[in-house]
Amino acid sequence: MSWRYKLVSMTLLSGLAACQSADKQTAESSPNASIAGTVHVCSSCHGMTGRSVSPDFPNLAGQQTEYLVAQLHNFRDQSRADPHAHTYMWGMAKHLDDQTIAGVAAYFAAQPPVNAVALSTPDPVGAKIYAEGLEERGIPACIGCHGEHAEGQGEIPRLAGQHAIYLAEQLGHFRSNARSNETMHMNALNLTDGEIKALAEYMGSL
Amino acid sequence: MATKRSTLLVTALLLLSIAIGRQAEALPSYARQTGQECAACHNGFPELTPYGRLFKLNGYVFPGDISSGPPIAAMMVDSFTHTQSPQAGGAAPHFGPNDNFAFELASLFYGGAIVPEWGIGAFIQSTYNNISQRYSWDNTDIRWAHSLLLGDQELVVGVSLNNSPTVTDLWNTTPAWRYPYQSSGLAPTPETATVIEGQLAGTSGGATTYLYWNRLIYAEVGAYHTLSNRGESMLGVDPTGSPSTHGPALYWRAAIEPNWGRNSWEVGTFGLTGSFYPGRVADFGSDNFTDIGIDSQYQFLSNDHSVSVQASQIYESSTLNSTYAQGGSSNLHNSLVSSHIKASYGYEQTYAATMGYFRVSGSADAGLYSGISANNSPNSNGLIFELDYTPFNHGGPSFWPWANLRIGLQYVDYLKYDGAAKNYDGNGTNASANNTLYLFTWLAF
Repeated sequence: MSWRYKLVSMTLLSGLAACQSADKQTAESSPNASIAGTVHVCSSCHGMTGRSVSPDFPNLAGQQTEYLVAQLHNFRDQSRADPHAHTYMWGMAKHLDDQTIAGVAAYFAAQPPVNAVALSTPDPVGAKIYAEGLEERGIPACIGCHGEHAEGQGEIPRLAGQHAIYLAEQLGHFRSNARSNETMHMNALNLTDGEIKALAEYMGSL
Repeated sequence: MATKRSTLLVTALLLLSIAIGRQAEALPSYARQTGQECAACHNGFPELTPYGRLFKLNGYVFPGDISSGPPIAAMMVDSFTHTQSPQAGGAAPHFGPNDNFAFELASLFYGGAIVPEWGIGAFIQSTYNNISQRYSWDNTDIRWAHSLLLGDQELVVGVSLNNSPTVTDLWNTTPAWRYPYQSSGLAPTPETATVIEGQLAGTSGGATTYLYWNRLIYAEVGAYHTLSNRGESMLGVDPTGSPSTHGPALYWRAAIEPNWGRNSWEVGTFGLTGSFYPGRVADFGSDNFTDIGIDSQYQFLSNDHSVSVQASQIYESSTLNSTYAQGGSSNLHNSLVSSHIKASYGYEQTYAATMGYFRVSGSADAGLYSGISANNSPNSNGLIFELDYTPFNHGGPSFWPWANLRIGLQYVDYLKYDGAAKNYDGNGTNASANNTLYLFTWLAF
C-alpha cells in the first residue's frame, strides 16, 4: 500500500467519523445548534455536559437557570469581579447576547446534576450551620434560601454536588467582598476559615 | 547592530514593558481574541494549561472579546550572556568573546482565528534573528478542527498544515515546545541531536491529522517533505548543505492524559522515520533514521501554586548508507539517545523556579565526531537552573493590557560536553568552560 494511499485513507476516515457521529447525539446531550458552538467553548473548562474536572471551574450541570443567566450577565458587565471571573469569564461573556445567555443557561440547567459522594467522616459543624445557622453571630441557616437539599431556586444557586473547593473559595470571596453580593457578604462575614471549609464540604456532598 | 549602548537602551525600555521567549506560543493576539488573561491558557508561557491545550486543539478559534483588528502580535528578546571561558574570535560575528549584551531576536505573529465559523485558525511566526542577521519563517501551524459528540463523549478531529514535526503538539515535552523555552544564541551548545529535534523544523512542509477522544486519548499522524533549495531561500532559510528527504518523513504521536481535581498527567509516545540525501546528493543512497520517543507531563495548577514536570527520551537508530559510503562516518549503523527532564514551581503565575537535566549519548564515530570530540563521542549532559519573573500574566499595564513580560535568569552547567568532562576537544577545554549565565527580557505585545 503506497504512502499516498495511507495518507488519503487516514484523512477520509477522520472525515467519515465526523459525519457518522451526528446520528448518535441525543436530545439531552446536544444543545440547540444555534448555541452549540458556545456550549462547546464553555465545556472546555466546565466539562462536557457541565461536569467539570478541576474545582477551579464549577459544575454547571443541573444549576438553576435564572442563577446561570444572572451570573453570565454579571460577567458580561463585570459586576462580578472575583479573580477567576476576571481571568476567564469577563472575556468569555463579553460577546454573549441575551439570547445566547438564555440558551446556554437552559442547556446546562437541563443536564443531570452531579451525584455527590457522601462524606465518610462528615464534620457536624457543616451540617449544623447549613440547617440552623449561627444565631449568636447573626448567620442565618443556609437552608432557608438554598433549600432542604441545597438544590436552590430561581436566582439562588444549587450548591448540592458542587466542588467543595469552589464553594469554599466563593464563601471566602463573599466574606471579603471580592465577589460583590450584599446578602452573602453579611452571611459569610462572621464565618471562620474552618467553618467555611466544613460548610463547603457538607454542601458539596449533598 | 547590537552595540552595547543601543542594547542597554532597548533593554531598559523592555524592563518597563513586557516579554516572551523565542519558543513563544503565548500570543497577546490570542488574549485579545478571547478576552482572557494569559494565565487562562498558560502556566508560565509557553506551557499550556488544560484549557490552553483545548484552545490549540480546537484550531485557535475560541471566541470572547472579539478584537476588531487582525490577530497580529509581536515579541522581542534582549539578553546578556556570560560563559565561563571566553569564546576566541567572538561568540558570533559582530559580537565579542564574552559578556555580550544583545538584541537577540524579534518575531511577528499571526495568531488566532482565520475563519472561526469553519474552525480554521493559525499560529504563524516569522523571526528576525539578530545574531545570524537573518529573517525567516518560524513555527507555523495552520489548522482546521471540528468537535462532535459520540454519545456523551467528545471527539475532536483536525488537520494541520505546518512546518515542523511536533509543532502541533499539545504538551511541552516534545522538541518544538519543550524546555528550555529561551536560551542564549551567543553561548556554545552541543550540536548533536536526533533528527526529530529540529532537522525538519523550518526546512520542510507537512500535514498531520489528529483526533482527541473524550478529553483523554490523543492520536496524530502526518508526513513531511523538505522544501527545495529555492523554497527554503524564499522563506529565509539558508539551504547550503541541507539534506533533502527521500520520500516523505512519517510522523506519529499518541498520548493519554487523565485529569483529576487540579491535576493532569500525560503519558505518550511520538516519533519520526525518514530517509535523507545528505547535501541533496542522491548518488550514494540515503541515510535512514527512525526516532522513537516516550514522554510524560504532570501539572498541578491551583490559584496560587503550580507544579509542572516534563520528561522525554528519544531513541534514534540510523543507517548511514550515503554518509558512510562517502567516508563521512566510521559506522554504517549508529544510535543516539536524547533525554530531557525538568521541574518547575510557580507562584501566582508570576514567580517561577525551574531545574532541568539534559543528556545526549550515542555511538562513538570518528567520521562524524572527530572534528568536535577527542573521544569521537557525541555524549553531553548537564543541568539548567532558571528563575523567572512574569509580572503581567494577569493583565498588562493599563496602557497596554494585552502585553506580557518575562525577566529570566538562567544558568547552564555542563557536566560533559562532546564526549568528556575534561579536555573534550583535545586542546585542554573542559566541559565547564561552556557553562553559561544568561539574563534575558522577553516582551510580547
